[in-house]
Amino acid sequence: MQLSAGNHAVQILHDISFEVSAKQVLAIVGPSGSGKSTLLGLLAGLDHPTHGSIHIHGTNITTLAESAMAHFRRQHIGYVFQAFHLIPTLTAIENVALPLELQGLGTGEERAKSLLQAVGLEQRFHHYPIQLSGGEQQRVALARAFISQPPLLLADEPTGNLDSTTGNLVIDLLWQLHEQHDSTLILVTHDRTLAARAQRILTLQDGAIVHDTALPS
Amino acid sequence: MLLLSLKLAWRETAHSWSRFVFFFLCIALGVGAIVAVDLFATNVEEAILGDARGLLGGDIELSWRRTMSQNGQDVLDSLSERQITVSHITEFAAMAAVESDQPHNQRTKAASQLVELKALDSLYPLYGSLLVEPAESIEQLLAALPTGCQRTPCFGAIAQESLLIRLNVSLGSELRIGQTNFIITGILGKEPDKIATAFSLGPRIMISREALDATELVKTGSRIHERYRLRLLPSENLERWLGELRGRLSREGVQISSYRDAQPRLRRFLDQLTLYLGLIGMTILWVGGIGVACTIQGFITQKTPIIATLKTLGADSSQIIYIYLTQSLLLGSIGSLAGGMLGTGLHQGLPLLLQGIIPETFSVDPTLTPILRGIAVGTLATLAFSLWPLLAIRSVSPSLIFRQDIDRATIHTKSLSWVVTLMTILKNWWYDRVQRLTSLLIGGSLLGLAVWQAHSLTLGLFFAGAFIVGILALLGGTSVLFWILRHIHFPQLLLLRHSTNNLQRPGNFTKAMTLAIGIGVMLMTTLITVQQTLLNLIEDQIPSRAPSFFFIDIQPDQQAPFRQIVEQHIPDSDYDLVPVVRSRLTAIDEQTINPEDHKGKRNGWYFTREYVVTTFQSLPKDNLLTQGQWWDNTNLQNPANDSPALNHVPLVSVEEDAAKHLGLSLGSTLTLNIQGVPFTTKVSSLRSVDWGSFSMNFFMIVEPGSLDGAPITYIATARVPKTVQIPLQQAIVAAMPNVTAIHVGDVLDNIAKIFRQLAMGIQSLAVLCLITGAVVMIAAISINRYRRVHELAILKALGGSRGLLLFSLGTEFGLIGGFAGLVGLGLGCLLSWSILYFFFDLSWAMNISVLLTGLLMTIVLTLVTGLLGTYRLLGFSPLSVLRQE
Repeated sequence: MQLSAGNHAVQILHDISFEVSAKQVLAIVGPSGSGKSTLLGLLAGLDHPTHGSIHIHGTNITTLAESAMAHFRRQHIGYVFQAFHLIPTLTAIENVALPLELQGLGTGEERAKSLLQAVGLEQRFHHYPIQLSGGEQQRVALARAFISQPPLLLADEPTGNLDSTTGNLVIDLLWQLHEQHDSTLILVTHDRTLAARAQRILTLQDGAIVHDTALPS
Repeated sequence: MLLLSLKLAWRETAHSWSRFVFFFLCIALGVGAIVAVDLFATNVEEAILGDARGLLGGDIELSWRRTMSQNGQDVLDSLSERQITVSHITEFAAMAAVESDQPHNQRTKAASQLVELKALDSLYPLYGSLLVEPAESIEQLLAALPTGCQRTPCFGAIAQESLLIRLNVSLGSELRIGQTNFIITGILGKEPDKIATAFSLGPRIMISREALDATELVKTGSRIHERYRLRLLPSENLERWLGELRGRLSREGVQISSYRDAQPRLRRFLDQLTLYLGLIGMTILWVGGIGVACTIQGFITQKTPIIATLKTLGADSSQIIYIYLTQSLLLGSIGSLAGGMLGTGLHQGLPLLLQGIIPETFSVDPTLTPILRGIAVGTLATLAFSLWPLLAIRSVSPSLIFRQDIDRATIHTKSLSWVVTLMTILKNWWYDRVQRLTSLLIGGSLLGLAVWQAHSLTLGLFFAGAFIVGILALLGGTSVLFWILRHIHFPQLLLLRHSTNNLQRPGNFTKAMTLAIGIGVMLMTTLITVQQTLLNLIEDQIPSRAPSFFFIDIQPDQQAPFRQIVEQHIPDSDYDLVPVVRSRLTAIDEQTINPEDHKGKRNGWYFTREYVVTTFQSLPKDNLLTQGQWWDNTNLQNPANDSPALNHVPLVSVEEDAAKHLGLSLGSTLTLNIQGVPFTTKVSSLRSVDWGSFSMNFFMIVEPGSLDGAPITYIATARVPKTVQIPLQQAIVAAMPNVTAIHVGDVLDNIAKIFRQLAMGIQSLAVLCLITGAVVMIAAISINRYRRVHELAILKALGGSRGLLLFSLGTEFGLIGGFAGLVGLGLGCLLSWSILYFFFDLSWAMNISVLLTGLLMTIVLTLVTGLLGTYRLLGFSPLSVLRQE
């Protein structure tokens, strides 16, 4: 993976090759600038690799055009960001239901409610993001990521902006939802304790995989 | 999806409505102008059609430019027998003099005035009502007055207030018209059948038919206008009557109109006026559209993180474009709605600006259709101007969500030559189907709007084309100025360098601001230059040898006294006196002309007008023979020709434009009706005439001797020094009350007054265009508000004083004004030159003072606008701003 900044090309990732089996939990760790987030972005089809290919559920996503990729993403991938990225003008329930609405599957209100209840936000249905705390916002983001029941869930530093207590609560919920939905979970984290809960850890350094460790379940 | 889009659009708008105030204004001003003009046009249409009977004065009008023939009289008599009401009105220009004991040669003030006389019968008006102060019956006001006058016979008269002012008289004063005296018994308020005061020779005065006979002004060959208005029974068929009358009066040279013709000339004039006003309205809307495009572009830039989030959640670009397009259209329709209300308000003012040009029966009533149409136009314009900036959504990568800086850096390519950049843009456009389709949609919408407003495909295309050329020229001009600016270095003045750099920074909308202001400046410059040139032509450019007076209706036996009086007043006797007859064209090459076939048609006027025919022995000055030969002097003096053969057809020389439109060539025969007598002539030459000389010029001149026996009157022109003008006019009116004196200066003043009024109406809308330009500028400035606050905070933190920062901002906005002014003025000069050269055949002269004032005012406008938009930002504490980073 190569990116250009001005006239300079920056090699972000190279010689990356790995497979993740269904329902597995994979943690990607590594120092800042090692290419963790870029790798996650590539898996989500948010970026295109300069070389190579990525196959998810038998589909080579690197060959998909923009709208086909958007369609694929809607049905197969959920994404949780470090900075939550909720839409500020929509309420909690509307934010959660947004992926269903984008798929043209109605307002998804009932499903959004049950997911918000699952993450303990039954009192916050009609609150706007600005009226929610960081932890609450991330819980809304979790509910949003799971609403389409995607087989693959990607989480980028999901606790990076939260204090440790709130972070733990969010991680418990993430695991709980992952188990309930039988999804594959790939998360990027700095947090060694969090990584230790995964079944496998991929360590990145300077854009390359330096360790690929399977952990005992 | 629609529900989601509407929800997002509504929430976004409700959350930050203040950000969209200028968006609303940009649309509202344009829609307001269009709605105002449309409402005005609808009212004009209603005034003409709705009160068509009142404007015509009857169901049918028969109008003659001379006294009625016996056959005509028989037809009219037969009408009364069939229960048709006929009202008879006579109109002509006459001289009204203040009755005074003082001898005319001792008077210093103008005591006589050219008036438009109207003699009424007791049935007037058949439709509508006449408003007079005091509100007494017309019969009472116009009745004969056996006592109380200095001379008899004496009658009452109703006069327009302007006559009282001009002659310095009042209600109850005594005037003399022809052989009769009149006491002003009433002041005219509203005349129902006065279609428009676009041009009049003088104030109106109304008298009775009995009084008209007493004036003894109507003589053979007098320039009068007889109107017979018919009121049919409701059961009668209008078309059947028109057919019958046209048949029975086909040889009478009568003009027959029905109220359904609804004043074709007035209608055409007002149609043209509202068309041009409407196109200025469309220009305002399009200038506002530039503001819309800037706001959307700025908005999309700010919304990049949300767009990236939506993409990450699986939304494709078309879905997001759909969401934001819904928001634009929502904002556009709210703006259009506000525009509809603004237009209704502006509409109340338009008739005030155009007073004297529109019918007196005009009333201001808002109707729904123009408002709804305005809202549709505004929404469509929003669509056209938002689509292109919305396409940028496609290039927002979802990866921006976690890698903003690097990705942004990839957007800025290194600077390439403009040719390469242009080629790249064109190439991308060609290979991008969405861009191609969007361009087509935008082009189609704008063209559709232009055609809709212009009511014509050709004019719509021309307008849209001219707008695009104008924009390209403005952009080109601005780019040149930028290039010059880039090559001037300001090493000593950091703040000056900062402001010039700011102007060229990407995303600063400098070109959009220059464009929006520049279009207004271009429009104003064009209007002012054309108006000034035409006014100069009317007011100052009258040739020095132009006459001061035209005297008309001089009877043959008044030739000698006329000469005597004129020679007494003008020592060097600079005057002309020529015989004329009034006629109408009845046949060309023995083919009968039916005026009805040419009514309302372009140049149909040549077939329907009255021709004043004269005779000259030699080619008059200001005339140039272009074809054929002038009748040879020697031939006329040749004894062999003294008694021309009985079948000799008199020769006529025709003005070349008239010949062209009438389809005449050398050898064609023309048959004219002179007071009921047919007169056939043969075209022997064509002439070009310098009409601008203000001399006596004629479309048709016949060879000497051919008018012998015809009902001749004389007209005269005289060039008189200013000091002698009033005494000469008094002397002629006193000695020959039937002679009408037309003062050229007064007539031109009258034209100039109406022209000014018209120009004011048009310019008011052009001012609205400039205001819209200023709003677009504020909109563009407010988009970058946060960046500016941040920059100003840093500059302040580094020690920049408020004064220094003001200087920097002032330089930036002043330069925008300078650029917009220079380019707008340049284009305005070019456009006004084209209009004057191609449409008016006039030369263009640079008016340095107008241009300099224009430039200065543009700079002041942009300075004030820019500082208004940014002054508040200077008040922020730098710490509070930087802490938020």
